[in-house]
Amino acid sequence: MRSNAGVIAVTAVALFLGVLAVTQIQAQDVYSRSLQLETPASLTTLIANLSERNNAIKDEILDLRSRTETARNAIASGQGSLTEAERQLSQLRVFAGMSAVSGAGITVRVDGSFDERALSDLVNELRNAGAEAIAVNTARVGPRSWFGATADRALTVDSIAVRGPWQVRAVGAPDVMYVAMTRTGGIIGQFELIYKGTRFDVSRETALDLPALATPLR
Amino acid sequence: MTATPSTDRTRLAHSLVLLVPAVLFGLLVSIQWRTQSDRNELTIRYNTPLLDAAKTLQNEQAALKLQLADLRAQLDKIQTSASTQTGASKELQAAIDRLKLVAGLTERAGDGVIITLDDARGASAAKDVEKSICHNTDLTDIVNQAWRGGAESIAVNDERIVGSSSIYCVGSTIMVNGTLMSPPFAVAVIGPQNELLATYDDPTQLRDIKQRRDVYGLGFRVSRATGLHLPPYRSALNVRYATPR
Repeated sequence: MRSNAGVIAVTAVALFLGVLAVTQIQAQDVYSRSLQLETPASLTTLIANLSERNNAIKDEILDLRSRTETARNAIASGQGSLTEAERQLSQLRVFAGMSAVSGAGITVRVDGSFDERALSDLVNELRNAGAEAIAVNTARVGPRSWFGATADRALTVDSIAVRGPWQVRAVGAPDVMYVAMTRTGGIIGQFELIYKGTRFDVSRETALDLPALATPLR
Repeated sequence: MTATPSTDRTRLAHSLVLLVPAVLFGLLVSIQWRTQSDRNELTIRYNTPLLDAAKTLQNEQAALKLQLADLRAQLDKIQTSASTQTGASKELQAAIDRLKLVAGLTERAGDGVIITLDDARGASAAKDVEKSICHNTDLTDIVNQAWRGGAESIAVNDERIVGSSSIYCVGSTIMVNGTLMSPPFAVAVIGPQNELLATYDDPTQLRDIKQRRDVYGLGFRVSRATGLHLPPYRSALNVRYATPR
């Protein structure tokens, strides 16, 4: 009798323990990656970001609707759709970095020690803030651009050496990009903590002129 | 009631059998408690409406991307039928098609490599959580390395990497082209296989990721892949401020 009670007790404890251990492992696994466990601040940033992206898609949908209509009418009236094709080509050339561009934006000046991974992170952050075209000094950054470094402390964009102090220029919504770079806890703040002694300046620009990619994509 | 030596031994044995699970039980309960207490009251109060808002926006985005794809296809159809009319429009259409291909706006098939990146899952992960999980900077480093190795097209978990793509991190969630994703990540790369493998094998490159793989068990693997299919970029082109010169 006594030994039976013992076995039952141990089995119950072991069973409970098993369930708890599995729950714990699952909880930890999900914990690191679940949206449910994000802080309200992170979720708010995420929502702002998603909402901005959705608005950009909505704008493009409106634009495409009117262009489709115009092209249809032009063909129906026997004019062909050359205007639409030209417009599309010019948009794609900007998107692919194949044409030199002008426009408003921001400049990030970096004076001091810096490295290729930080430059890649800065470009990533600018793209997230809606940059439409980016150049580092006089080297345009394209869809397939990569960042490296040379032995004599220059950085490279697609093998082209760019030397400090660096000017990273981005065409896009100046206010959105400026706030994204300079917000508390943002990338410039993080750089200032990591690269002590390096000077980072961000300024809004009304007119920037960026070159085309040095080597066009094929 | 006097206990005999044999019943004493049985009691002792029972107590010992229960002692180990009891200690483990206590340990697990305390870990569970600590995990729970990381979520403060503010998190619990505000997260539900915020989560709902995030999910609604994600669903809306999926629907918007479908509409966008549909409109692009309609416009393409009009353009293609019109381009059969004159020589000039034929040339323009050929240039458009070429640009779409290099800019990542068309589906792409070919051979290359697949890089997988995952949070550490084993016991070594407990040593340092920060170093055991994937960060967006790991993905930007892996993508940068692929372009360096001559990649022609890249997709991260089926999101095509184009000129406007960013790999963004909010808290512990990663977003590519507005799509939320979590590990494991598969970076599919179309390009010259030997050059790509060599660039990832180079011991001077991706040192941080390789060190975390060896010490903390971070999942990082590069393998040859044939017959890859990469989807086209499905989000907005976003050319509003930049005008060609």
